[in-house]
Amino acid sequence: MSFEWPWQYSFPPFFTLQPNVDTRQKQLAAWCSLALSYCRHHRLYTLDVMEAQESPVFNNKKIERKLSMEAIQVVFEELRKKGNLEWLDKNKSRCLVMWRRPEEWGKLIYQWVSKNGMNNSVFTLYELSNGDDTQGEDFHGLEEWMLLRSLQALQTDGKAEIISMDDGKGVKFF
Amino acid sequence: MHRRGVGAGAIAKKKLAEAKYKERGNVLAEDQIVQMSKQLETFKSHLEEFASKHKQEIRKNPQFRVQFQEMCATIGVDPLASGKGFWSEMLGVGDFYYELGVQIVEVCLALKHRNGGLMTLDELHQRVLKGRGKFAQDVSQDDLLRALKKLKVMGSGFGMIPVGGSYLVQSVPAELNMDHTVVLQLAEKKGFVTVSEIRESLKWEKERACHVLDHLLKEGLAWLDAQAEGDAHYWLPALFSELSSRDITPEEENQMTP
Repeated sequence: MSFEWPWQYSFPPFFTLQPNVDTRQKQLAAWCSLALSYCRHHRLYTLDVMEAQESPVFNNKKIERKLSMEAIQVVFEELRKKGNLEWLDKNKSRCLVMWRRPEEWGKLIYQWVSKNGMNNSVFTLYELSNGDDTQGEDFHGLEEWMLLRSLQALQTDGKAEIISMDDGKGVKFF
Repeated sequence: MHRRGVGAGAIAKKKLAEAKYKERGNVLAEDQIVQMSKQLETFKSHLEEFASKHKQEIRKNPQFRVQFQEMCATIGVDPLASGKGFWSEMLGVGDFYYELGVQIVEVCLALKHRNGGLMTLDELHQRVLKGRGKFAQDVSQDDLLRALKKLKVMGSGFGMIPVGGSYLVQSVPAELNMDHTVVLQLAEKKGFVTVSEIRESLKWEKERACHVLDHLLKEGLAWLDAQAEGDAHYWLPALFSELSSRDITPEEENQMTP
């Protein structure tokens, strides 16, 4: 299914940081939604800022408009404030994008475990994210850093325990 | 012969004559009233017949509605003048326009965040039709204009700005004066306007043009495009015709934010 762009994407002023405060708020909210939506559609978990500038999200070649570096940073800061983005380095050149929060991922994983009667089973992280059994599940292909955070959320909830195994980490579900 | 001209008898006679004339006058008026009542009765029953025959037609057919309205106008009747009364009760016309008014308000509110409270009549029409669904009664632009006039009368902040042969529907009481309206009309052709265009077409000073554009930005009716060639472009979402494109809905937003 191809990505559906919102009306704002074809609207040239969308790529100019708006001077009017109220309009800017609406604009940033729309940019945040668009960025998260795009990452979710393409299963992107990290973004490189330099690459982002050339990505179709922030650069609409058809209407010859693109977000300036400054504007991209503003959008990213908004995402960070909302808890959807984490910088990986001090220079703010790479970031983690959380279009779904760890708690939400945890819930999905636990639902799958319960549905298949696998409570009290042990899994390696790899089995969860890349195993045949999880093919077709939303969390299949989840990157390890996010998987770990999701399981940590479940652990806090008392629904799972992260354990150390011979060649990495695993998890036991309750 | 006695001359009785101005005697008591003459006065009495005069009085009698006057009384007879008065009586005659009353009788005449009575006659007229009875005549008129008869006519009104006939008229009313014709109307009732018309109404019952055409009530369905009026509700279903926009063209018929227009003709009906024009007919009423010719005889000096406004079927929408008051909520209650013969016309609205007999024909249910008032209900029809009231419900349409509610729909219009809903559509405008739903899109206010996007266009600042300004929308073309075309877009309003399309969206109202969409909202009514396949099996609902058809609605024409004439119907919308009448319903809007009613809304305006009720002081709900609605207004209509003539542009390019049609109208822009204003649903938020932003203060728009003649200068703003004229610039809106100029912007209608391409969906945007620039300072140079305003100066060229309207022969205004730069300050006047900037003042108007700043106001439109402030009211959320226009967005700034600084990447255009030449002058900055001021675009109006209301005139932006990408109707088929979807919006990022609040539901989707909630799914993604903590």
